[in-house]
Amino acid sequence: MRCQRARKWMTAAVDGELSPRRRRALDGHLAACAACRRELAVTERMLAALEGLPMEAAVSARLEQATLRRVRLAAADEAERAPASRWRLWLPLPAFALATAAVLVLAIGIVRRAGEVPGPPAVRPAPKVDAQAPPSPLSPPRRIVKALPAEPPAKLAEAPELFVDMPIIRNLDKMTHFEAIQTTTLDDEPATPDGQEPPSNG
Amino acid sequence: MRRGAAIAAVLLALAAPAVRAQERHGRPWQELTPEEQWRAWENYQRYQQLPEERQKMLERRYQQFRAMPPQERQRLRQNWDRYRDLPPRQRQEFIDKYHRWKGRK
Repeated sequence: MRCQRARKWMTAAVDGELSPRRRRALDGHLAACAACRRELAVTERMLAALEGLPMEAAVSARLEQATLRRVRLAAADEAERAPASRWRLWLPLPAFALATAAVLVLAIGIVRRAGEVPGPPAVRPAPKVDAQAPPSPLSPPRRIVKALPAEPPAKLAEAPELFVDMPIIRNLDKMTHFEAIQTTTLDDEPATPDGQEPPSNG
Repeated sequence: MRRGAAIAAVLLALAAPAVRAQERHGRPWQELTPEEQWRAWENYQRYQQLPEERQKMLERRYQQFRAMPPQERQRLRQNWDRYRDLPPRQRQEFIDKYHRWKGRK
């Protein structure tokens, strides 16, 4: 098999849509071709990213604890050093709450910037979006631009729902036959006539 | 009276392509929620990184998806939510079952 054909079959292989015969042929090629193995890894990562993105910011417990510790230390430090200053009379909100909010906002900002939590940015500058051809199979994946353009590119404007529903469209076969697939039994499962789960032994 | 009907006919004729486009491609960009616009934009960038063959395949499937009745599309979206909510082990099991199911077809 040539690399060109192997690359043509790769995304179907990642989706589990390649016939067993083609899959074996592809596996044989991959065993001997390091470039195609790298390409397969890139394709797998890219398609996995299409599976959907978390909509809420998830801050790790460690970061949360560290943030709260800093806030406590800052509050204690302030209580030790400063007697009630004049501005506090005008601003009844306790410094502790202010500091908590500021540090949490900063922490979430850092996490988002690190690319762990995608979400709409507060400010959306308009980057220049040029019509890009698909990259060559071995080029590294381009970075995802984290800012919404002022005007969507033509392709996106023409069929926006293609991109909104892309994970579903990618898995169209699986989602169309979801119930039938769920009631399918695997080899090591005893088949039940009505499609119910086999009784547990424990 | 006749003039009013003629104006209505012209307006309908002008609106028809837009209606057909909406049937074919769904809601226009401006009607998406900010979250949908954001999701679409990120997926669009990933789409651009896919090989051309794969892009064409997604477009073919999208036409199939658009041709489905709205209730069927809604059912697929609900199935997707169920699939996404599966824990990793059950998701892998679902994929294994899919291969088995596909093999039996």
